Amino acid sequence: MDISFNIGGAAGQGIDTIGDLLTEVFVQTGFYTFTIKDFESRIRGGYNFTQIRVSDKPVYASVDHVDVIIALTRDAVVNQRHRLTEGGVIIFDETIEFDDLEACHFPAPLEKTAKEVGGNVKMMNAAALGAILSVINFPFDVVESALNSIFGRKGKSIVEGNVNVARAMYDFTKEHFTGTCKYNLETLKSGPCKDKLLLTGNRALALGAIAANLKWISAYPMSPSTSVFVEIMSYANQLKIGAIQTEDEIAALNMAIGASYAGARSMVSTSGGGFALMVEAVGLAAMAEIPIVIYNAQRPGPSTGLPTRTEQADMFFMAFSSQGEFPRIMLAPKDPTEAFDVATRAFNLAEKFQIPVMILGDQYLADSVLNVPRIDVSSVKRDRGKLAKPEDTSEYKRYLLTEDGISPRAFPGAAGKTIVSAGNVHREDGHITEDPVNRNLMVQKFMNKIPSIMSSLNPPQLYGDESAETTLLTWGSTWGAVYEAMNILSKKGVSINHLHFCDIYPLRTEKLRQVFSKAKQVISIEQNVTSQFSSLVRMETGLDVTMHVNKYDGRPMTANWIIEKLKEAGIA
Amino acid sequence: MITPEMLEGPQKATWCTGCGNFGILAALNKAVIELNEPLHNLVISSGIGCSGKIPHYIGGINSFHTLHGRPIPVATGIHLANTKLKVIVHTGDGDCLGEGLGHFVHAARRNVNLAVFIHNNGVNGLTKGQFSPAAPRGYISNTSPPPPGAPMEPVNATAQAIIAGATFVARGFSGDQKGLIDLMVQAILHEGFAVVEILQPCVTWNRQLTWKFYNEHTYTLQDSDHDEGDKMKALQKAMENGDRYPIGVFYRAAAPHLASGLALPEKEALKDHITDLKDVQKIIDDLII
Repeated sequence: MDISFNIGGAAGQGIDTIGDLLTEVFVQTGFYTFTIKDFESRIRGGYNFTQIRVSDKPVYASVDHVDVIIALTRDAVVNQRHRLTEGGVIIFDETIEFDDLEACHFPAPLEKTAKEVGGNVKMMNAAALGAILSVINFPFDVVESALNSIFGRKGKSIVEGNVNVARAMYDFTKEHFTGTCKYNLETLKSGPCKDKLLLTGNRALALGAIAANLKWISAYPMSPSTSVFVEIMSYANQLKIGAIQTEDEIAALNMAIGASYAGARSMVSTSGGGFALMVEAVGLAAMAEIPIVIYNAQRPGPSTGLPTRTEQADMFFMAFSSQGEFPRIMLAPKDPTEAFDVATRAFNLAEKFQIPVMILGDQYLADSVLNVPRIDVSSVKRDRGKLAKPEDTSEYKRYLLTEDGISPRAFPGAAGKTIVSAGNVHREDGHITEDPVNRNLMVQKFMNKIPSIMSSLNPPQLYGDESAETTLLTWGSTWGAVYEAMNILSKKGVSINHLHFCDIYPLRTEKLRQVFSKAKQVISIEQNVTSQFSSLVRMETGLDVTMHVNKYDGRPMTANWIIEKLKEAGIA
Repeated sequence: MITPEMLEGPQKATWCTGCGNFGILAALNKAVIELNEPLHNLVISSGIGCSGKIPHYIGGINSFHTLHGRPIPVATGIHLANTKLKVIVHTGDGDCLGEGLGHFVHAARRNVNLAVFIHNNGVNGLTKGQFSPAAPRGYISNTSPPPPGAPMEPVNATAQAIIAGATFVARGFSGDQKGLIDLMVQAILHEGFAVVEILQPCVTWNRQLTWKFYNEHTYTLQDSDHDEGDKMKALQKAMENGDRYPIGVFYRAAAPHLASGLALPEKEALKDHITDLKDVQKIIDDLII
């Protein structure tokens, strides 16, 4: 079973609530889910949808087709029609009138049932749920127990009201739905999936950051990054985290740099346009060797671009941001579970090497929801890197020259130590100088960090047959769709594998070279127009990919789309 | 006990002979001695320009020589990460009232517990004398040739501070050591956003705002029966600029400062607080449906 549901309507109509409810029911009953949110940059109105893929096998991406649509507006009926599969159903409220009803249409009294049975129009969500589940013959006793557990925390009358509305609509649909749905789950009891932690990429990053002992976050709201900041803010009182919404992104990063200089683990979260304002301070962090974590939830640019859509086009911008030359690390998690891990690693790497660490997400990673296994935080390590010993009475030099380029840190307030930092070129003691010999030593100090940075980064992952003829090359959140495409094609007998990078900069090249030497063709698949990552590969290795697949319409990739592109090129 | 030797500058000042910054540095030294706070609890955050170099000319004090216009946000982060520190910002008129004006206004309305010393010489000195945001209308420079010279009014730092919500607003003069030391000490001890606009001549570029000019055109507010608690009076005094510049404390108020409104630990500094992983596990487990 692999069903795709689409809940569409205007912003503010409660699409999210129906979607969340549906996802929760399937997660409660043991299924794998993957939910994407497709919305416009507006507060009310327009046309938005939530699309939920449900399967009894693990799912890693969204899909193009839809099996069941629940439409709250006429737009939502019409806009998805072409994506409805053979044997699919469109459920909509009976008040939306159509002259030519199609066989796939099912007008239902959603609002009426909510009012009459539940006494509250808000219970239309439960009515919608009842209709959807009835269409696919999902057993009602399973629905009921899921609703009990979902609404349980809201009190008995709410549970009863929702269950009654869902049942009424469920029964009505059984009686009046004359079409057929290709899915019939009548005999279903529960699915095999035990994963009950619902995460978006942004939520996972927020949880990773708090587990890493984040103590400072400053940010300015910007889609699609904002929910990281909001999530962390919601734990600030309990966990004691300094968090402030600043006047702009310039202040956000400079404050975080100040907090880190003073000894607090610090981060900022933003999207490309906000990062543009931070670029100056990235150089300050680099020059003054202040550890900092910067999260960029990418969206299509340039400028305001498509504020609520997805893209991977800020890679070069971040890799080369700020004037001058200095080490930095860039990490691009593939999914929420990896995002948690990346967040905890980012803080350790930033403090170990005293450099900026950049996390590249995108709207797709930021907002997609999936159910994952419980995260066990007992394995989280907090490594603050080299710290000066309080009892050491020799004169403290913040930028002491060492073999690995890393000087022990101390923080203001430490008796007997004076911590002097500067954005100018400075001496070992932090005071500024234009001396050429010192300049060379300090530049070399930066460069001396690079070998150990390289060995601290994770190599890429190769999925599928090691010796396949075709390799698909990806980084970041496109992993899921490409991984599924690779699996589908492999099963059909195509000789194909998948090489994926999370740690993208500086680029580790050993595995790359191996894979390139074995594959007959390497195809880069990126959510941007210029194949930035494959350019980076060429820059660092001289190796060229044989073909580029690019998507830049702001909408996520799917396995089908990728397979189509490969077919067009004669592969697969 | 802090001695002048402890504060001896690690580097020789690169300021021009006769620069107003020497008076500010001398006053800072004496203010630090008078405060008698252990030196490791002091931090100076400075911006870019002649004023920004001050951390290198005073010894034994933690410092961060930051970016143009950004010493206030950096200082805000330092202060909140460890509220036990006394954080002092040294900034110039080009630094604070141009690139940094937005940060200045927002820090004032947040009432962050910082002491901000604005070295105001009405000129962008280090880049060779261009008009600064505080240069008088008509100021002639290589980027504001005559006629008409600088074709705009200057930013009034003191008035801006009062309007924006600073809770201690004063003006000092680099040539009035006794008065300036006193204002610095009060500003550092004040709980909240404390601004001291310090008038200083740029002997190389500014032929208008000279030692002689300031000696002749300043007077002490506290001699004129001024009420520091009256915000409108303070603003009136701040707007007086022209023929005569008042010196002294314009405005003083008690108000909650930013740190009291954030989720900082009660006892220890934020930088020393450690999130218990058990709490994080519970947050995660509560998200499981």
